[in-house]
Amino acid sequence: MNRFLSKDFLSGLMFIGFGLIALYFGQKLALGTPVRMGPGYVPRMLSLTLLGLGALVCIVAVVSGSDPVERLKWKPITLVTIGIICFGLLFERAGLIPALIVLVTIASLAGEEFKLTEVIGLIVTLAVLCTLVFKVGLGMNIYILRGVW
Amino acid sequence: MDLLDNLTLGFSVALSFQNLTYALLGCILGTLIGVLPGIGPVATIAMLLPITFHLPPTASLIMLAGIYYGAAYGGSTTSILVNLPGEASSVVTCLDGYQMARNGRAGAALSISAVGSFFAGTVGTIIIVMFAEPLTRMAQKFGPADYCSLMALGLVAAVILASGSVVKAIAMVFLGLLFGLVGTDVNTGAQRFTFDLPELSDGIDFAPIAMGLFGIAEIVVNLERHLTRTGGTIKVTSLWPTMEEVRRAVPAALRGTFLGAALGVLPGGGPTLGAFSAYTLEKRLSKNPGQFGKGAVEGVAAPEAANNAAAQTSFIPMLTLGIPSNAVMALMVGAMIIQGIQPGPEVMTKKPDLFWGMIASMWIGNAMLVVINLPMIGIWVKLLTVPYRFLAPAILLFCCIGAYSLQNSTFHVMQVAVFGVLGYVFVKLGCEGAPFLLGLVLGPQMEEYFRRAMLLSRGDPMVFLERPISLGLLITTALLLLLMALPSFKKARKEAFVEEEG
Repeated sequence: MNRFLSKDFLSGLMFIGFGLIALYFGQKLALGTPVRMGPGYVPRMLSLTLLGLGALVCIVAVVSGSDPVERLKWKPITLVTIGIICFGLLFERAGLIPALIVLVTIASLAGEEFKLTEVIGLIVTLAVLCTLVFKVGLGMNIYILRGVW
Repeated sequence: MDLLDNLTLGFSVALSFQNLTYALLGCILGTLIGVLPGIGPVATIAMLLPITFHLPPTASLIMLAGIYYGAAYGGSTTSILVNLPGEASSVVTCLDGYQMARNGRAGAALSISAVGSFFAGTVGTIIIVMFAEPLTRMAQKFGPADYCSLMALGLVAAVILASGSVVKAIAMVFLGLLFGLVGTDVNTGAQRFTFDLPELSDGIDFAPIAMGLFGIAEIVVNLERHLTRTGGTIKVTSLWPTMEEVRRAVPAALRGTFLGAALGVLPGGGPTLGAFSAYTLEKRLSKNPGQFGKGAVEGVAAPEAANNAAAQTSFIPMLTLGIPSNAVMALMVGAMIIQGIQPGPEVMTKKPDLFWGMIASMWIGNAMLVVINLPMIGIWVKLLTVPYRFLAPAILLFCCIGAYSLQNSTFHVMQVAVFGVLGYVFVKLGCEGAPFLLGLVLGPQMEEYFRRAMLLSRGDPMVFLERPISLGLLITTALLLLLMALPSFKKARKEAFVEEEG
């Protein structure tokens, strides 16, 4: 296994990445003086420390090695993320029921078993439950089906 | 007598109909998630954070606390009956609890664990009552520099006791601190890292981050692993233990209680650490350690008592100092901030009803849990048959609606998606989420104290070394860091966590 594709080396890179992002977007913030610190003082301090720690993690990982990264399975993470985003897009525009149907269907596809009847049953149960809990019970101001309720 | 007055106040608050209902609700929810593997208290509390927004502060904290210690009870039930720990803190209970069940002593194991947990919870609550006032009074003497050092100590200590690489955990703390800075700078009003998004000007909301990092990432990882349930369910006959079992369980539960209570107070400690240490201690003290792993009563009584005692006492640093010691406590701090309460020593003096009400409700909740768990055991076991392919979409849905309901904005739903991906990356790279969360919660406060301390000292950083309290705290922090670098400690720490994972 390539020692640069280890968990620790990649984590180090991630920390360095976040440190650089924070430095770049924080460069316009006024630093101020130690007595009267500007808004940029503490962010600068933290991002530099993060850069240092990231570099340290990388060096240690290359010198002494670390566990290789497990093989990624793209399906669950991609589908779950798409499901949430679809929910976010549909919830206000179309209402709870359409958003729920899309999210539950996509999330069910992420698992290893997909039986249409089961998924439909789950959708119906959840739709009734959510309507009762959130709309009727908690009185939240949401559309169940936009234009209808 | 002051203490008595406070407790009376506490019980009068906790015994109101509304608060009793929320305590019961919390306990039931906690037991539920404790029983269901694949979803833990951190994820549940994160998901419920938005809902607590609609509740009065006391009720919401009572409910969240109920979930936390309810999970400890529920987790032990599945450990004993089906050899599946619902929670990390009940992994050890599997070792002897399931063996006891196979020997036909399932009922005895369940009642010993429930009564032991109740006893430990009671002691834990008494310890909170005793320590709350002195600690709060001490905390009120703290200046900004002292607070800053205290937070540094809390963060470092939490890192040491967490599993995994220490340097990575420290880097995660800093990453969390950095994320905590997003939003409007309190002192100057400047926008920091908001990328011109008005939604970010109040900072990144805590709840979507917690839901993404713990809820979504956990679901995805479970989906990858094809979470399946095996093992037959064991029938519960008599709940009564024999005299011999009681004789052996009582001292073990006592030792477990005190060990757990002590470890719970430590930053980074908590139920899991308490349970493991208690089990190891019992094995060392036992005259015939060979029995352990084959259904020793002590192996059930001690860790169960310890995890519950630790669950209680881990509230102490959060309630008195405002410093969360683990991820669940960080979420409790988040719940308080959502309600507009700044956790810290002022909570006790300014909101005595909330403070004492919550403590009293913990004891009431523990009593409820014995009732929920023992006679209703059959219902909980049935729940185990719900397959994960039903649970995962349902949990996702509740996360999404919860996130939306925070501020009626889909922006928060999108945040959940983003932090879900980030949380997944953290899991894949072996980076712990808990230090990140602690840093995130403490970040804004720590910056404020730091800036105030530097302002008061006219820019002289020596202030952190000149104040005796601050100096003491920093020396402790440095000692902890040195300790971690020692090879022997490194080895012991590694072994402790290997045992835990195995």
